[in-house]
Amino acid sequence: MSAMQPTATMSGRYQRAFTVAVVFLVAGWHLAGGGGQLLDNRAAYGSFAFQGAMWLVMALAIAAGSVLVLRGAPSWRAAWTVALIALAASTAAAAASPAGQMLAVNWSWGSAGWIGVLVLLRRRFSELAWFLAAEALAILCVQAWDGLDRTDLAGFLALLAWSTGAQVAVAAGVRALDNAAGRAAAAARSENAARERAATAEIIQAARHARWLALQESAVPLIAELAAETADPGDAQVRNRCAVQAARLRRLLAEGDEVPGSLVHELHASADVAERRGVAVEIETAGLLPQVPSLARRVITDAAIAILTGARSQARITLAAVANGIAVSFVADTGAGVRLPAAAAGVAFEQQQDGGMIWAEARWNNR
Amino acid sequence: MEQPVTVAIIEDHPVVTEGVASWIRSDPGQRVLLVQSARDLTALRAGPQPSADVVILDLELSGEMVTAQIPELVAAGYRVVAFSGHNDPAVVMETLDNGAHAYLSKDEGRDHLVEAVLAAAADRPYVTRSQARAMLADQRPARPALSQQERQALLLWFQGMSKASVARRMAISENTVRQYISRARAKYAATGRTAPSKDALLARAIEDGVIKPGEISPYTSFARSAAENPSLGAPGQ
Repeated sequence: MSAMQPTATMSGRYQRAFTVAVVFLVAGWHLAGGGGQLLDNRAAYGSFAFQGAMWLVMALAIAAGSVLVLRGAPSWRAAWTVALIALAASTAAAAASPAGQMLAVNWSWGSAGWIGVLVLLRRRFSELAWFLAAEALAILCVQAWDGLDRTDLAGFLALLAWSTGAQVAVAAGVRALDNAAGRAAAAARSENAARERAATAEIIQAARHARWLALQESAVPLIAELAAETADPGDAQVRNRCAVQAARLRRLLAEGDEVPGSLVHELHASADVAERRGVAVEIETAGLLPQVPSLARRVITDAAIAILTGARSQARITLAAVANGIAVSFVADTGAGVRLPAAAAGVAFEQQQDGGMIWAEARWNNR
Repeated sequence: MEQPVTVAIIEDHPVVTEGVASWIRSDPGQRVLLVQSARDLTALRAGPQPSADVVILDLELSGEMVTAQIPELVAAGYRVVAFSGHNDPAVVMETLDNGAHAYLSKDEGRDHLVEAVLAAAADRPYVTRSQARAMLADQRPARPALSQQERQALLLWFQGMSKASVARRMAISENTVRQYISRARAKYAATGRTAPSKDALLARAIEDGVIKPGEISPYTSFARSAAENPSLGAPGQ
């Protein structure tokens, strides 16, 4: 989604720029080309006022067509209404022009064709072809009505070739540019996706590296000592260290899991080794628990590992929602007190020893 | 010697019935006497009622929840101790609201069942850890307002400490711990739907000095009490 939007607007921006270029082309042609010819030959027309009115009608058609295409793809009905008004005005202006001088005085041919290009630009190509054919036919009819002057006919054919050719070329060019913009946008999109994949891979790699470092500090020296036989598995303290490291390995694996209630999940993983040792571990929750950040979870699960490693036969872990945070408590028959991790990452500890039972509570405060 | 408390078990799994019966038999004082066991409620309805002082009721019989049948049992004069594998706090709250005296999860049975039955027979509160958990998790608008001390005692009890450890932690006597927990339970008896068992629990709590009549507010909706007393209105307080 986040990668889609910018590239989609990018391709949209190019298309809009092409549309604006065509609007300027058409308006420029009507103003300078059509308008200039009209003013130059104003004495030649039967009624200059009628020609001027038709020029205005076509100018309005250009304005309406521009608004339509700049707002987005116009509907079939709206596009053709504008195109046919322009065609009608152009034909009326041609019909009212003096016969025999058509080539010199008829200003409206070119403009009508360009208006067709403007409004039909992003519709099917055949629609533009039909429109240009209709325009050619209309002018041919006007000439036939005027008695098919040979000079006019020759001029008409030359003009047809020149102006229709230019109009078709512009329409085809815009189409090609649209395609190129779409391809560029797609390329940018896939480049974005590739960049995101690379960033994700980097994060995963960093997390793996952090885990590897954590193991280098803790499990690796122990394994090295065991291999070198400087640590004796018969020694209770060595067995204790092994149990702690095994629980940490399980937790490291659990930290990578994407699950709701990560803390409960990681506590279960931390309890796994103690359970294999035959300690009955209960884990219960009360209330809607807040999300605890990963650093605080690490501190809490470290405490869990310390207590569970010391537990002889039973342990109860509870998680309760309290005002502004969470209270995670441990009750276990450790026999003696347990060294808990130092308060960190917003987690504070309390503990109490009653006979062979320990109670410890980790409170994480979200403020 | 006092007359033993009579009890009926409604349970669809014979092996559980057998286990409960053995817990009752192993009580050194023989304070409870099992007089009836049935696999569903129809057997209990058949004879003269009440056939026992206390009913130990499995909340799920033949795959169906029977929490809605508790008011009927209470009306017939039974005191109900629910015994269930469903320890969802919402189920626990509904069970208590319908008039059960106590709730035990199946893990809690061995240590608490006989004591819970005896407490129920005397109309005294008995709060198991699963009940404490449901009270702590309760976010319903109509929940009673618990004091800071009552909540703390419930929390430490839920966490798994013995009552003696809770007392040491809170620097109060064990008796006061019991009082806080019982008072919280009595406050629940004063809210929600009415039931003769809840009235009896409350009357006994007043008689025992667990709670003063002034501490029991008649049921008001949360919205109304919040409007009248905004300082008590914040949830979780």
